[in-house]
Parts: sequence; structure tokens; C-alpha cells
Amino acid sequence: MNMFWHELRAYRKSTITWTITMVALVAMMFSMYPTFAKDAGQFKAMLEGMPDTVLKAMGLDMDTITSLLGFYAYTFAYIALCGAIQAMNLGTSIVSKEVREKTADFLLTKPVTRSQIITSKLSAAVVSLILTNVIYLVGAFLMASVVRIDEYSFMNFFLISISLLFVQLMFLALGFVISVLARKIKSVLPISLGTVFAFFFIGVFGATTGDQTVRYFTPFKYVDVASIAKGGGYETPFVIIAILFIAAAIVSSYVVYVKKDIHAV
Amino acid sequence: MNVIEIDHLTKTYGQARGITDLSFTVEKGEIFGFIGPNGAGKSTTIRTLLGLIHPTSGSAKIFGKDIIQHGPEIKREIGYLPSEVFYYDNMKVKDLLKYSASFYNKDCSKRIKELAEVMDLDLSKKIDDLSLGNKKKVGIVQGLLHGPKLIILDEPTSGLDPLMQQKFFELLEQENKKGATILFSSHILSEVQRLCNRVAIVKEGKLIQLEKISTLKESNYKRFKIETKTPVSAGYFRMVGVNELKEEGQHVSFLYKGNINEVMRKIAAIEIQNVWVEEPDLEEIFMHYYEKED
Repeated sequence: MNMFWHELRAYRKSTITWTITMVALVAMMFSMYPTFAKDAGQFKAMLEGMPDTVLKAMGLDMDTITSLLGFYAYTFAYIALCGAIQAMNLGTSIVSKEVREKTADFLLTKPVTRSQIITSKLSAAVVSLILTNVIYLVGAFLMASVVRIDEYSFMNFFLISISLLFVQLMFLALGFVISVLARKIKSVLPISLGTVFAFFFIGVFGATTGDQTVRYFTPFKYVDVASIAKGGGYETPFVIIAILFIAAAIVSSYVVYVKKDIHAV
Repeated sequence: MNVIEIDHLTKTYGQARGITDLSFTVEKGEIFGFIGPNGAGKSTTIRTLLGLIHPTSGSAKIFGKDIIQHGPEIKREIGYLPSEVFYYDNMKVKDLLKYSASFYNKDCSKRIKELAEVMDLDLSKKIDDLSLGNKKKVGIVQGLLHGPKLIILDEPTSGLDPLMQQKFFELLEQENKKGATILFSSHILSEVQRLCNRVAIVKEGKLIQLEKISTLKESNYKRFKIETKTPVSAGYFRMVGVNELKEEGQHVSFLYKGNINEVMRKIAAIEIQNVWVEEPDLEEIFMHYYEKED
């Protein structure tokens, strides 16, 4: 447990910063909703003048955009992007920092197994993300209650919000396995930002073509928040693939890390 | 009883050499020197013993237990000080040491205070703000705070001033008296000579010599350099105990091991201009052992 607490403490600042950022982001977006809903007719007319592909790329759904959940689903893409960067950073750095900051010799000569190290680090990362999500959910819910005009389904609101964790866990697992496979990661940010934005734009371009298969290749599209806003739910194939991917990444992280040679600096 | 048993241990890094077929044992209560030039395989051996890297072939036991199967159990009783110390920069010394102690399931707070006092270490500072020498002290306290039965030191004296080095050696001698076995790796012969009972000399990943320090001292090598008035006849100094003889006109140099009187008589018999008698440096002894191996 000592390693778990140590890691949780080490990432405390970054977790708080990311959480505040995401809550602020959702608050800012919801604060625009009342004006937006009031001038809905005008806004729709303006949007209809825009090319179809642009609307699709931005994830705008004309039927629902003026409802609270429709609006939320649209803005959620940027919150998910933010959360993905947090998770990918966390996953990529939490194991690799020991080698980068040359502290591996300290930790790995303590009476613990490598599996225990991975377990502690992984659980600290997951707990950090869960805390982020809980606070985000509360913040988003409070803000939505303030700005709402009509009734909305709390269940659907919850499903959209919690897909943040869903996306984050996939990026965490991806970052984790990358950091274990790499011999040494000199700098976390280029890797995590590069990966996250690559997947984000795959999602954007996939949406413009309307090609459903592209959805399988980017974690950002595993949960179709726009359809949840209209009363849909999570789609079983995507949930299963996501779980399989996360499990595979984590299992291989353990297998590789247990046998990995930790070289002198 | 053997604390460390290394049995035909080999570690290769792709094509590069690590260690080849290394075997030796360290007995309980010994201070065992492990010397060799840089890149000889000292750190590779130590890192293998600690489970940081995995052997290509061969095996090793610590406290009679296999290093791979019983890694965590063995490490409970090991204190390790690496040659370069790096710790979590944004932590305070106190917190780092507490974190280190938390791995051993015993109360180490008293021992931390004692050690910090001996080593003159300020516990309330941030690790980030410490000098290299002070970081090294953190490393020493970190390695000894749980009262380990085996202390492994990888070139531990770099960065310590002579006074601290002295205190550190005294600390090691105390630990040794209390029953700790010490594996001390170094490329400086004098510190090994001072502390150790036995030494293993490694070069290019192979064990070249394993001797008691007392034997090593007896086999006292001297480096002779002689300048003569007239050129010496070739082979004049070719006698028992003379190695690496170089004759260049009026300049002669060689490595000598044996009865000093005999070689002095030989020198006295000729007309000399100048003479130097020096302790050979470690590299020369290595070279000598190395050539003997061939």
C-alpha cells in the first residue's frame, strides 16, 4: 500500500489541475447554453447554411443541438479530449518516470515484486481518474441544473458524463503498455499529445465520411454520445472491444515488465 | 556459510559483453572487495544480484536462496548504495527515508536519526536542493536504515569528501562488526585495501584473480624506473620477479615482485643517474594479471 499512496500523492497536483480544468470547461460551456437555447431558431438557420461535412466533423446533430443533452453531447468531445490527455500522460509517465528520473534503482531494489509495483502504480492511476470523474460529474450536474430550461433524463446525462472515464481508461491502458515496452521515454508530452490528437482527428474525419468502421479505430468514438442524448445507450460490441483492449494492454504490461532489464543510467 | 554464491553467471547485451562465466562466493561476515576498471562488469554483476537485470545463463544465490525465485525475500535483508544516487526530487529527505523504511515492516525512525547525525545530514531539506555529496549521504542512510545483513556498495565513495569518507568507512566497519557482510565494488585499490578481507579482480567481464588482501599486500609490486649513466647491457635486469621489462638505452623500467634486497643489489652494481620506486597503480596490476591470463 505504501507504493500506492506514494504514487497517488505524487500525482495529486496534476490530478487536481486536470479536474479543475475539466470542471471549468464544462461550466463555461453550460454557461453559454441559456443564450444559445433562446436564439435556437436563429442559430439553426445559420447552421443550415453551412456545408454538411463541416457539421458532421464538428459532431453537430441538428435535431438535438438545442436540447440540453444534445448541447452537452456536442461540447463533450472537447472534455473527452482533455480527459484523454490527462489519462495518456498518466499512463505514459507513471512507470517510465522511474527510469527517466533515475529512481528505478531505488524502487526495484526494495523487497517487492515487479508485479506489486505495477499493481500499485496502476491502481493509483485508476483511482486518480475515478476521483477526477466523480468531481467532474458533480460539477457538470450542478451546472446543468442551473442552466436547464426543460426536464432532461438524468440517466442519459450520467451515461454521457461517465463515458469520460471509459475513454480515459482506454488511453491509460495504451499509455501504460507503451511506457513498459519502450526502453526509455525521454519526454512524455510529445508521445501522449501526439497519440491523443491522432485518435481525435481519426474520429473527426471518420465522422465526416459517416463510415461506421472508423469508429472501431478511435477510443473517442466508442461511445456515441449524440445518440445517447437522443435516448440511446452504450453499444455492446464497442464495450466488449474496449474491455478486451484494456485487459490485453494491462496483461502484456505485467508480462513485459516482470522480465524487463533495468539498465544503469 | 556463504552469503553470496555466484555460479557461472553470464550476462550479454546483444553483441556487447557484460560478464562471462563468473563464479565466486562471499562468506558471512566478510568485507569483500570487487575491483576492476570501468566497464569490467562490476555493476552488471551487482545489478544481476539485485534482480534489476536478468542473467543470460548461470545462477546466483544470496543467503542460500536463488536470486530470481526469491528476489523480494532476499532484498528484505539487503542494503544497496548505487554509484550515482537519484531520488524523487520534490520530496523532503525525511519523507524519502520514511518511504524507504516503509518497505521493511519495521520501525527505522531511531536508526534514521542516528545515521543522519553521524553523516551530518539535514533531514528537513528537499532532495532537489542537496549537493551531490549530500545526496550521497541520503543514499548511505537509505541503504543502512533497516540494518541489512548484506550491504552492497557500487563505487560508493564518489562525491564524498575525505572526512565523510572516513565516517562512512567507520560506519561500514561497525555494521560489519554487528555481523553484516559487505560487497564493496570499486576501482580504487587503496580504499579496498583498507577495508576488505578478500578481493575479486575482474576485467572484461571475467574473474582474473581472487585473493586475500593480506596476500595481495605480501605480493607487493613495485614499479622501478632507472636512469643510468651509460646504456645497460640488454637483459641485465632479467631476473626472477621482474615483469614488463622495458630497456631503452639509459632508461630501464620494470615491475618487480619479490625480495627488494636482491633488486637493490643489482641496481647498486651499476652506475645510476636517478631511480624511482613507485607503487604501481591499479591499472598496472590489472594489466599484469591480464597478461598472465593470456
